[in-house]
Amino acid sequence: MEKRGDVLADSSHARVEISENTGRLWFTMLSPYSQIMRRLILVFLLFLPFWGRAQEDKPRNWSFNGYVKNMQTLLFFNDAFPDFKQGALVDTFLQDNLIHHRLNFRWQVKDELRLYADLRTRVFYGDLVRATPDYGAAIDDVNNDYFDLSTVLLDEEAWVVHTMIDRLYLEYFKGDWEVRLGRQRINWGISTVWNPNDIFNAFAFTDFDYEERPGSDALRVKYYTGFASSLELAVQAFDRWDEATIAGLWKFNKGTYDFQVLAGYTQQDLALGGGWAGNLDDAGLKGEFTYFLPLNDSRQESFAATVGVDYSFSNSLYLNTGYLYNSRGSTNASVANLFNFELSARNLYPYRHGIFAQVSYPFTPLLNGGAAFIYSPVEVHALFVNPTLTLSVADNWGLDLVGQLIFDKEEKGYTSPIQAFFLRLKFSY
Amino acid sequence: MKKLILAVLTITLAMGATANAQSLTAKEIIQKADQKQRGETSSGELKMTIVRPTWKREMQMKSWSMGTDYMLILVTAPARDKGAAFLKRENEIWNWQPTIDRTIKLPPSMMMQSWMGSDFTNDDLVRESSIVIDYTHKLLGKETIEGRSCYKIELTPKEDAPVVWGKIISWIDTEEFMQMKAEMYDEDGYLVNTMYGKNVRKMDDRILPSIMEVVPADKEGQKTIVEYLNLKFNEPIKESFFSIQNMKRVR
Repeated sequence: MEKRGDVLADSSHARVEISENTGRLWFTMLSPYSQIMRRLILVFLLFLPFWGRAQEDKPRNWSFNGYVKNMQTLLFFNDAFPDFKQGALVDTFLQDNLIHHRLNFRWQVKDELRLYADLRTRVFYGDLVRATPDYGAAIDDVNNDYFDLSTVLLDEEAWVVHTMIDRLYLEYFKGDWEVRLGRQRINWGISTVWNPNDIFNAFAFTDFDYEERPGSDALRVKYYTGFASSLELAVQAFDRWDEATIAGLWKFNKGTYDFQVLAGYTQQDLALGGGWAGNLDDAGLKGEFTYFLPLNDSRQESFAATVGVDYSFSNSLYLNTGYLYNSRGSTNASVANLFNFELSARNLYPYRHGIFAQVSYPFTPLLNGGAAFIYSPVEVHALFVNPTLTLSVADNWGLDLVGQLIFDKEEKGYTSPIQAFFLRLKFSY
Repeated sequence: MKKLILAVLTITLAMGATANAQSLTAKEIIQKADQKQRGETSSGELKMTIVRPTWKREMQMKSWSMGTDYMLILVTAPARDKGAAFLKRENEIWNWQPTIDRTIKLPPSMMMQSWMGSDFTNDDLVRESSIVIDYTHKLLGKETIEGRSCYKIELTPKEDAPVVWGKIISWIDTEEFMQMKAEMYDEDGYLVNTMYGKNVRKMDDRILPSIMEVVPADKEGQKTIVEYLNLKFNEPIKESFFSIQNMKRVR
């Protein structure tokens, strides 16, 4: 049973919760309102690449690619909507639509110099947008890092249009050196599901529709010492020490294993970690851990560790299992937090323990089915169930059906406060 | 997707490895065909088409290889997978995913699985590299395939050899030493797949079939086509080319 103050749903742009004061379902925004209308820019942003590609294919030193996705979302809330006649909370649902365009631009400036610039433009429409005041302002900026590279192009009743540059960096490589400057993804994870080493951009698996992830405004210098070994150092832009992240990563290969060791400073903590990717016979064996030692007495230490095994059978059935220990995790929080908890490498999952199992199987070469389960053996026995169906409709056209169902054990037994379903059509170009 | 690439990886490595033949022995013939197809190093562009009765899918890639142990593949189409790369060094395989800026190590079991409805199976193709050791070779005679005079050679697995086929019949061109056709049989002697070499042309310094088609025996309207758009042999490629660093940079 949801209580006052419970958060029922949350995304990068809005939050659904039961108000502490009134007990009513409440939508809140996560950042201040600021709206700029530039409809022409919008049209330009959405259709530019198609015009660009209508041209011929002569050799050139730049390229465009990307995709357009349309996703319909159905969010079902059990016992969440207050019905005053009945004097009880009843079930309700929200229906939303998201058109999403991603444009990746690459410019090979010189042999050793490349520019990357990626633009992400989204058009939101639906119940959640309508029910949420200042929806545009809420989604703006949440994915920004140090610099503000995003804007709300339209914000009207049930419609919001938002665009942002989530990659903008120069890459210089010469010999064994590689230097990147600008908004980039620094992905230091090595294991399959959870990545405690990913201290620059932690990943929430519930946010499956943003596989590229937000970028970090950073400088990264990498030196390759062998075919699978390297040393790298990365610094995120900052004004104050308490928000800085500076870290080094050493990768090396021994036997048939890749190893990595991580050390650095991140937001008032010293981070020490490591990971590996290898095999047990024909199965993959991967693991990763990070210990966060506070440099400030008011903070608590944290430790996150994960280990996993994956195997692919000769009939293409794929199995993946793993475990996460998260010292910060709760043992009794409501499962509704899954869409809401404060994500970071320190806290990759809202619970202390997570047991993961995933299975996927190609029913036909065009139709792939799978399901992932995460069970937390804690007081509330939280369970996350994530079935997926993926269909290749044609070359460059894909259709996905994704479910996200959450369950936990409350006073009246096992319940499922939220079920989300997504139908996504994607065209890549 | 991963499976498809791994299949190509194994096919291209294995294509070369179409083992060894008599005056020229049967074994020597197959060995010559093998050396010709593979070279010390090779690099090229290829297109793979999976054909089914009601649909087909295409993908295109560039590949670089050295012997059977080192290989790098860069996907150039379809759009969705463009830029993804695969690196194989002996028993280790890595996959580069540019969209998430991450190198993923794949479990060895991925090399063994079949893909895309299994016109090719990775399993047998990977193991074809040991075809010289694991099979005994018998020259059955000569036959004409596609207007070319070919040696017809029977390959029978040795006892306890780790191979999936019960028998392979291979047709090798008597002049150019290229495999023009092969039939793969299961352990009960039933025909499973037939592979055809087509569109013979000069690629770099040698004459080879530029198209390979694999047709399963009992599946109407189904086949897989691998077409070499270009191919170069024995260009100097260093072992250090096959690195994670280079997997991200090739284009």
